[in-house]
Amino acid sequence: MSSEDLKDTDTEARFEFKKEQKAAFTAEKGLTEATIRLISEDKDEPEWMLERRLRALKQYQKMPMPTDWPGQPDLSELDVEEIVPYIRPDIDTRGGEESWEDLPEEIRDTFDKLGIPEAERNALSGVGAQYESEIVYQNMQEQWEKKGVIFMDMDKAVREHPDIVEEYFMTKCVPPSDNKFAALHGAVWSGGSFVYVPEGVTVQMPIQAYFRMNSEGMGQFEHTLIIAEEGSEVHYIEGCSAPKYGRHNLHSGGVEVFVGEDAHVQYSTVQNWSKNTYNLNTKRAIVEAGGTMEWVSGSMGSKATMLYPCSILKGRGATDNHITIAFAGKGQNIDTGAKVYHNAPNTKSTIESKSISKDGGRTNYRGLVHIADGAVDSSTSVECDALMFDNESTSDTMPYMEIEESRVDVAHEATVGKIGDEDVFYLQSRGLDDDDAKQMIVAGFIEPITEELPIEYAVELNRLIELEMEGSLG
Amino acid sequence: MSTQLHASISEETVRRISAEYDEPEWLLETRLDALSALDDLEYPSVIRTPGRQWTNLEGLDYEALVDPLTQAEEKDQVGPDDVSVLPFHEALDEYGDLVEEAFGSVVPPMDNRLVALSTALFTTGTVVYVPAGVAAEDVTIRTTMRSRSLFNYTLVVTEESSSVTILERQDSGSVEGANEDVDHRYYSGIVEVVAGENSHVQYGALQDFDEETYNYTLKRAAAAAFANVSWIEGNLGSRLTKTTVGTELTGDGSETKIVGAFFGHDDQHFDLDSRVWHRAEHTVADLVTRGVIDDRARSVYEGTQDVGKDAWDTNSYQRENTLMLSDESEADASPKLIINNHDTEASHSATVGQIDREDLFYMTTRGVDDRRAKNMLVEGFFVPVLAEIAVAEFREDLEARISERLR
Repeated sequence: MSSEDLKDTDTEARFEFKKEQKAAFTAEKGLTEATIRLISEDKDEPEWMLERRLRALKQYQKMPMPTDWPGQPDLSELDVEEIVPYIRPDIDTRGGEESWEDLPEEIRDTFDKLGIPEAERNALSGVGAQYESEIVYQNMQEQWEKKGVIFMDMDKAVREHPDIVEEYFMTKCVPPSDNKFAALHGAVWSGGSFVYVPEGVTVQMPIQAYFRMNSEGMGQFEHTLIIAEEGSEVHYIEGCSAPKYGRHNLHSGGVEVFVGEDAHVQYSTVQNWSKNTYNLNTKRAIVEAGGTMEWVSGSMGSKATMLYPCSILKGRGATDNHITIAFAGKGQNIDTGAKVYHNAPNTKSTIESKSISKDGGRTNYRGLVHIADGAVDSSTSVECDALMFDNESTSDTMPYMEIEESRVDVAHEATVGKIGDEDVFYLQSRGLDDDDAKQMIVAGFIEPITEELPIEYAVELNRLIELEMEGSLG
Repeated sequence: MSTQLHASISEETVRRISAEYDEPEWLLETRLDALSALDDLEYPSVIRTPGRQWTNLEGLDYEALVDPLTQAEEKDQVGPDDVSVLPFHEALDEYGDLVEEAFGSVVPPMDNRLVALSTALFTTGTVVYVPAGVAAEDVTIRTTMRSRSLFNYTLVVTEESSSVTILERQDSGSVEGANEDVDHRYYSGIVEVVAGENSHVQYGALQDFDEETYNYTLKRAAAAAFANVSWIEGNLGSRLTKTTVGTELTGDGSETKIVGAFFGHDDQHFDLDSRVWHRAEHTVADLVTRGVIDDRARSVYEGTQDVGKDAWDTNSYQRENTLMLSDESEADASPKLIINNHDTEASHSATVGQIDREDLFYMTTRGVDDRRAKNMLVEGFFVPVLAEIAVAEFREDLEARISERLR
């Protein structure tokens, strides 16, 4: 997606349109064993997957809602029993069409408006598109398929690659017992991507998956499993949006990444869920020796987000990079950060976080860095900066550092400040109006991060932020 | 909460303590209220992360530690003539109204379970009263514990435009009347500072208990307009210390500084918690802590800068550095910013590391042997906090204790 193309689209219109709610199969609201069995049956799943779902459901029912984290977002209005966990859109084939032309008009139009087919032509190796609970479109350029790269709908992978999926799916990386929403996810997951990159293969252009919730009061629970074998390289991009309805939606995705020796995986997310969506995700990577995991997250949307992408640096010399941008406007509570476990020598992590809060929005950086005994010569550096627009807004920073090894280098720094009156005044004196001046200051504030993003993403982020600011300043 | 406290921690015990000192009715009531609330109150908050609790206060055997009716200590309470430095119960006679008004006004007796326990059982304490306009240096309080457990209470009230410097030292002496060695002991100290308008308070505390003593301390000040409260915290002793020191900046233009130094070795566990609440306009806070841990010692540092909605024009800074000398040691840190007013300049930083190998190498090339080089670097590490300590006597004491610990 070039920046030129993006300028021609009206970003607001791209996300805020609604489509008539049509579905081939809609599960009952709430969560019972019967619902789970029905979902599994509708998907024609093997027995072991049904068993995993039911086990996860039991975990979910046992675990309490997280309510005792200091300053956490209020989840009391979230009633999981009122959420529709599974909606299969009204299309014939399972596992995704390979041509946009084959999709029903409304669904195709949705993704057209979001600019996905266009992006695919211009800048991507492969695209998956999920509408409600199922992947409706999936395609991968032939040259990558020939090299053995697999990019497919997660449901389809359960059927076509049962050995791999059975071994890796919510077993070693994110078990359902990890947290209540991971357990919920394990019970009702649907859709998402399976990515497999063979040894030594570098997928040059990013792979993108786009997740869209169109129905009111639904939950989306896509599962993404990425396996990057030794020496391989891949960049996975995830985009999310939903139109706003009166009732709450829930997004509770699960992401598991296995970074092989000397492999390199970048996972980028620009999340623009509507402001009635609870966004409660579990994302985790296990990084082998010499491997690198990069998490890039832009959190713009949602009513409440709780997201702490995690890297477990398991092999010697493994590296983690986190880049996080959070923007909370009116009524939004963005609680996000990073978790890194240094479990081997010579591991390194770098976390950069920028948050902006305005019009009563609340941001919180919450992060954990754990350096295990024996992880000698490891280093971590955390930098959090927060910018506040007004006195209705809140900005918190809560890092936790647990250091069990002495031969390490640990540094954390954080700053909070307001938009400088003098900076605004200066820009105004150069002929910019108040809004433009503030937009420019925000763009400058996040620039150290956007300059590390792929250009399409930087542009998209900037446009989303502009949109946030226009909406509220006007 | 399920942990049952000592059977002798009863209404009868509390009434006995209160009667022994001929206490006024309000204090007995306060003690009894605290006692009856015990089981409903939580332990002081400690940090929990997935699968870990940074300090375990529930796990202590209070039943074995606390013996409320045998409390004994040696105390020196000295100050210049124009300041009143009195044992708590004398102060009750002399300044009854003042004590009644101030008691519990900064640290609520029901703040947490251990504060309530302390309120119900304390037998000793000090009241420092500085009248308006008086400038006093050199108030010293020395408490030597002579019993299995001791509950101590300190109240400082400074009137308008006064100033005072208080140095407190705590250590453990032998247990009175004990036939055999007492293996574990418990000290609990509550310090309240009511800093009047434009007053200056410096409160330095050097904690040097023996390594059988479990230590819970809560120190908190409320600073009125233009008041300035400086805390200096030296933590060297104890088996386990949980200490919270903080200032509520309640008056416009008030300021606070919290300077901390700790040095843990053997199996010591320090949980050090610094807090500042910005609750008025134009307030300033500066939190600086440095610590060293050796052997199997463990340090937990938590620092919270809380800026309220009405705290316009706030400046708030926090720095924490931990040096790990041993591979068996462990350091946890969590500096926190909670910002509800955007007209704020706030920052914090925390580092954990070991002695810089290049520094060490450089020193050894200059002919300094390894151990001495290491010791010099540790002493050098403390210099930035020592430089923040304005009271020479305290600084020298702390320096001396640090050198002693460097073997």
